[in-house]
Amino acid sequence: MIVPYSHVIVLSGILFLMGMFCTVVRRNLIMVLLGLEIMLNAAAVAFVGASLRWQLMDGQALVIFIIAVAATEVSVGLAMVVAAYRQTGSVDPALLEGKETSG
Amino acid sequence: MAMTISDIPSGTLVPALAALLAPLAAFAVIMILTRRRARLSAGISIAAVGLSFLCAVGLLARHWQLEAPLQHTWQWMTSGELSITAGLLLDPLSLLMMVVVATISLLVQIYSLGYMAGDPGVARYYGFMSLFAWAMLSMTLSATLLQLYIFWELVGLASYLLIGFWFEKYSATQAGKKAFVMTRLGDVAFLLGILLVLVHLGNLNILAMNAVDAGAMPPALLTLGILLIFGGVIGKSAQFPLLTWLPDAMEGPTPVSALLHSATMVAAGVYLFARLFPFFSLSPTAMTVCLAVGTISMLLASTMAMVTRDIKQVWAYSTISQLGFMIMGLAAGSYFAGVFHLTTHAGFKAMLFLCSGVLIHHYGTNDMFEIGRAGGRGLKVTMVCMTLAAGALSGLPPLSGFFSKEVIMGALAAHSNPIWLAAGILGAFLTSYYSFRLIFIILFPAKDTGDAPHGSPSGHDGHHASGPEWHDRVMNGPLVILAVPTLVLGFAQAPLERFLGAVFTGPVMTIPHLGWLPWVASGLCAGGMLLAWFEFGRVRAPRVGFVERVPRLHRLFAERWYIDHFYRWFLDRVVYGTVSRLCADNDRKVIDGGIDGLAQGVRGTGRIVDDLNLVMIQYRLGIMFVVIFFLTLYFFF
Repeated sequence: MIVPYSHVIVLSGILFLMGMFCTVVRRNLIMVLLGLEIMLNAAAVAFVGASLRWQLMDGQALVIFIIAVAATEVSVGLAMVVAAYRQTGSVDPALLEGKETSG
Repeated sequence: MAMTISDIPSGTLVPALAALLAPLAAFAVIMILTRRRARLSAGISIAAVGLSFLCAVGLLARHWQLEAPLQHTWQWMTSGELSITAGLLLDPLSLLMMVVVATISLLVQIYSLGYMAGDPGVARYYGFMSLFAWAMLSMTLSATLLQLYIFWELVGLASYLLIGFWFEKYSATQAGKKAFVMTRLGDVAFLLGILLVLVHLGNLNILAMNAVDAGAMPPALLTLGILLIFGGVIGKSAQFPLLTWLPDAMEGPTPVSALLHSATMVAAGVYLFARLFPFFSLSPTAMTVCLAVGTISMLLASTMAMVTRDIKQVWAYSTISQLGFMIMGLAAGSYFAGVFHLTTHAGFKAMLFLCSGVLIHHYGTNDMFEIGRAGGRGLKVTMVCMTLAAGALSGLPPLSGFFSKEVIMGALAAHSNPIWLAAGILGAFLTSYYSFRLIFIILFPAKDTGDAPHGSPSGHDGHHASGPEWHDRVMNGPLVILAVPTLVLGFAQAPLERFLGAVFTGPVMTIPHLGWLPWVASGLCAGGMLLAWFEFGRVRAPRVGFVERVPRLHRLFAERWYIDHFYRWFLDRVVYGTVSRLCADNDRKVIDGGIDGLAQGVRGTGRIVDDLNLVMIQYRLGIMFVVIFFLTLYFFF
């Protein structure tokens, strides 16, 4: 293994923190979703690294699941963002707060 | 000294109880049923106090040959070891005081028929008078100190209500409040003294207290207890330093001043002293303090009386000074001197006030110069009575005051320190000066004003209605009746001394017979009278007192030696400025601040939690992350 496992873990942690930061701080629903994606992918990187470290396929299998979940999440999330934009004319989560979103 | 105490036979108990309870019943009936009917209320009250008077005189006559004190006690309450009794004590002192109180109450109530006629509050007035009569008579006959204290306070309440009787007058309510607060100051000391005695002797029965010997309490505590009880005397009898409430109490109706603030209520302090005389005389230190307090009050009040223009104020100051005389007599060791002067003083001082009341009622002013100019000398009966009473007050022979003052002077002369006798003689001189200053100002008004109508005998301004003819007759009756004891009571000295001495257990003082003393004392009285004549009476009199020629002295006396100013300063600086401010600051900053801070903290926390729940989803998410972060730290490390 050329890259040491600790490096992988650090990279994954940095990615996760960046995703977290993006999710919490950005005032745009699309960027919030993006942050979520980055966090999911950070988890996936950690899994892949672990799979390589212990020579087990379970990690790789989990990553497939993560990618599937991320894909569904993005599709559903983007659809909801579009719906919210149509109703309120805004993608700012602060402005959406407390508004009745029907349909 | 072993003492035999007999139970009160029922033939005596019934009249005694009737004398006490009749005014109480009258008070209740007037306050509950007949408040709207002035005449009926007055009748009820006078009938009740009349019954008390008859009972009192009957009891005195029946027990004139009393050999041992009569006492009847009831168990009032029991709590563990402590049992509190209440009861009646009949001995010469209480019988004599009872007769004095009942007589003057009756006369003053009859007099009030004229004085208070037409006042909208007559029924209330008679109600309070009955309350006073009940409290005062009950206090007189109390067998235990605690019971005496309760009625003592009730008397104070009646005094407060009657001083502030004309409550629509601001000064009257202020005076009532002042009297109440200042006497209460003394009463706090009195209560502490009672508690101290109770703790050490375990018994508050007056006869038992009088029978203890000096070893019953540690000497320092005994002195302290006596002085604390004497604090009550100071408050009630308006002695130095609590003397300024009495002149202000003259805001009340004049009959009230006659009854409460000269003859009976303020004498309650002296009565208490006489009541506990054997107990008080256990501590020579305390007796010396009492003697000093009496002397200071006597002299201070005499000087104040020399400059005032208000008739009632003169008599108020002279009351303080005569009470000081009584306390001097008692404290010098002569029980009889104090009690005898108390008795004679009650008669002539009530008379002086009632005479002043007639003048005030007639002329609508308290100012002696104005009354003189308006023709006060025209009221012949009143002026004769007033001169007679002033003579008694000054101690001119053969009036009652002469005899009682002689006894006090004798007692003072027997004292080892001659300064007390000197002070007493000086006081007698001042007394006769200020009394006759007033009499001469009214009798011989300055003629230089020139307006004839004011000089005519019946001349008064007309707008203060002096009432129909019967008012004068009703008011003059008690004056004439009171003139009798003023004239003859002095000659009853020997029988009274025997009567009071028969049961007395304390140290008996043999008063030396000093041939020169009566001559010196009455000579100085005559001197005071002559000085007053020289300054105010004779045709070319300057009508300016010798005190007024020294402006600083005049101001000092007129401002009551700045005692009130001192109190004001003391209250502002020490009480309000320091103690109250500290308490207020503690209240405002520490207690209020603490409670407010707690409330603010709770509210602030609540708002933070509230905001967390309200703001947008990203914050909640962020908090979730933070919490998970800390939980991770906690679980893994």
